[in-house]
Amino acid sequence: MNTDRFDLGGGEPIITLRDVAKSYWREALEIPVLQGIDLEIPVGAYIALMGPSGSGKTTLLNLVAGIDRPTGGSLEVCGHELNSLDDDQLAAWRNAHVGFIFQNYNLVPVLNAFENVELPLLLTGAGRGERRDRVEEALALVNLTDRMGNYPRQLSGGQEQRVAIARAIVTDPDLLVADEPTGALDAKNAEEVLALMERLNSEFQKTIVMVTHDPKAAHHAKHQIHLEKGVLDKAVEVNR
Amino acid sequence: MRWLALIWKSLMRSKRRTLLIVGSLILSVFTVAVLQSLLTTLNAVTNNPNSSNRLVVRHKSGLTQMLPRSYEAYLRQQSEVETVCALQWFGGYYQDPRNFFANFASDETTLFQTFREEFGAAGISEAQIKDYLRDGAGCIVGESLAKKNGWKVGDVVPLTGTIFPINPRLTIRLIYKSPKPSDENVLHFHYKVLEEGVPRMKGLVGSFWVRTHRPEDIPRFIERVDRHYANSAYETLTETENAFNLAFVKMLGNIGAIIQGITAAVVVAILIVTGNTMATAIRERTTEIAVFRAMGFSASRVLGLLLFEGVLLVGVGGCLGVLVANLAAGAVRASLGMAMPFFADFAILPDTVLACLAGAMAIGLLATFIPAYAATRRPITEGLRAVG
Repeated sequence: MNTDRFDLGGGEPIITLRDVAKSYWREALEIPVLQGIDLEIPVGAYIALMGPSGSGKTTLLNLVAGIDRPTGGSLEVCGHELNSLDDDQLAAWRNAHVGFIFQNYNLVPVLNAFENVELPLLLTGAGRGERRDRVEEALALVNLTDRMGNYPRQLSGGQEQRVAIARAIVTDPDLLVADEPTGALDAKNAEEVLALMERLNSEFQKTIVMVTHDPKAAHHAKHQIHLEKGVLDKAVEVNR
Repeated sequence: MRWLALIWKSLMRSKRRTLLIVGSLILSVFTVAVLQSLLTTLNAVTNNPNSSNRLVVRHKSGLTQMLPRSYEAYLRQQSEVETVCALQWFGGYYQDPRNFFANFASDETTLFQTFREEFGAAGISEAQIKDYLRDGAGCIVGESLAKKNGWKVGDVVPLTGTIFPINPRLTIRLIYKSPKPSDENVLHFHYKVLEEGVPRMKGLVGSFWVRTHRPEDIPRFIERVDRHYANSAYETLTETENAFNLAFVKMLGNIGAIIQGITAAVVVAILIVTGNTMATAIRERTTEIAVFRAMGFSASRVLGLLLFEGVLLVGVGGCLGVLVANLAAGAVRASLGMAMPFFADFAILPDTVLACLAGAMAIGLLATFIPAYAATRRPITEGLRAVG
C-alpha cells in the first residue's frame, strides 16, 4: 500500500473541501464532529472513508452528498459551491449529480423494482418512454431485468441493493455516495455489490465515495481515507 | 408511473388502516349531511315562500278546540282578504293504521284558490275541478299518494277515522301534481262529509286558512281579527302559515341547536381521528421521506405529495359519505314521506353536498398539514438515521 497523505491521484477535482468543519449542538454544548478538512477528490476516484465509530466519516459523506451543511469552510462538488445553494436548489443539484446507496437499501415498499428505479426520474422532466428506456437500461446493468415487476419484499437482500444501485445511477449522476452498502449483506451478495460498484467506477467513470467499516469492502476502492476524531488522518492507495 | 399513481400506492400501503379511516369518514360525512339536510328540510317547512300571504286563524286555546264556521263571513269581509278556506285535520287511514297520510276535510269551493301554488293550478282543468265539486263524496289526492296506493280517478277510497267516528268512502275525482313532493302526499274531501257525519262538528271547524292580497296586509289583519274576537267564547289566534308550522317544529325541541351541536362534535372527532391516523402514517415513513429528499425531492414537493394523499383519502371518504347520505335520503322520503309530509321533500341538497365535501377537504388538509410539515422540515440526516 502507498501511504502518501491525501494523494488521490491527479486529475480535475470533482470534490473540493476547504477547511470544512461540522459541529452539532446539544443545548448550549457544541460537539465538534469534523474540523479543518481539506481535501480534493478527482473525477473518477473511488474512495473508501474509514475510521472508528464517531470519527465523522458518515458526516463527511453527508456533507459531500449535499444532505447536510457544514458549520465552517467551503465545499465545492460537481462544479457547485454547495453553501451558496438554498434548500430547493440543493435538492435539484442532488437529483442531477448524486446517486445514493444506503446500507438498508431504503426502497419504497409499495413500489416495484421498476417504479423504485423510476422515482428520481420523475423530477427530471423526462417523458414516459425515455423514463422506461433509462430504467430498463439501469436494471439491465445490475442484471435485474427479469425482476422489474417484483416488490422489495419479493427480492433478496442482494437484489434489493442492486435495485437501489440502479436507482442511484438512473439519472446518470457524476457522484455515487454509499453508506455501508454491504453492511446488511452476506459475503456472496456483498461481493456482487462491490463488483458492481467497481464496474461503475472503472467502466462508467462514476466517482464513488463509500463509507465502510469492512476492510474487504474498502479493498475494492482505489483509495482509503482514514478519519480519526473528526480530522483526516491519512489516505492510502489500494494496490489491487 | 405518474404522480397520482405514486400517491395512490402510498395511500394503499396499509389497506386496513386506509379502509378504516375511509369508513369513519363515510360515517361522519353521512351523519353531518343527513343532519344538516334535516335542518334544511325543517327550515323549509317554516319558510315556505308560497305562504308569504297566507294566514291561519284558529282557537287561541289550541288546535283541538274548534271555531264557529260563522267566523268565515267576518273574515271574508276584511278588505285585505282574497279568500278563506275552512280546513279540518281528519286523521284517517287507508286499510291499515300504518298506512298513514295527511287527509283533510276542507271547503272545496275555496281550496284551489287558497292553495293554488301547491295544487300546481296550471295542470288542473276546470272540468276536473267541476267533477270534484259536483260529487259530495268525492276527493282529490296528490300524485305521489295515488301512485303509492295504485289509485286512479274513479277509484273509491275508504278512510277509517281515528279522531272522528266516521269511515267515509270517497271517490277520487282529481289527481293533482305539485311542485313539491310533500304537497302530493295529501287527500282532501268535502267539508260537508265531516259536518254531516259528525253531529258535534256541525257549524264548527278547526282552522281557517286565509289568503290576503298582499303580504304587507298581514300584520294589520292579524291585529284586527284577534282584537275582534277577544273575550268571546271562541277567542282566536291568528298567525302566518310559517309561524303556524314553526309551532309544530318547536315541538321537537331546539332541534337546530341539537343538530349543530352534534355536527360540531362529529367534525372535531373526525379531525382528531384523521389527524392521528395521518400523523402515524407519516411518522412510519420518516426514513422514506428522507430518502425521497436525498434523491432530490424538495421539501415543498414532498409536503405537496403528503397533503394530496390526505386530501385524496378524505375526499374519497367524503364522496362516499355523501353518496350514502343520498341513498338514505331516498329511503327516508319513501318511508316517512307519507306520515310526515315534509319528509317527502327530504334531500341532500347541492349546497349541503358542497359544504360537506369542502369541510372534509379542509379536515384532510388540516389533519395532514401539521405532521407532514414537521416531517418535511426534519433534517434529511436525522430521517435517514431513523432507520435504526
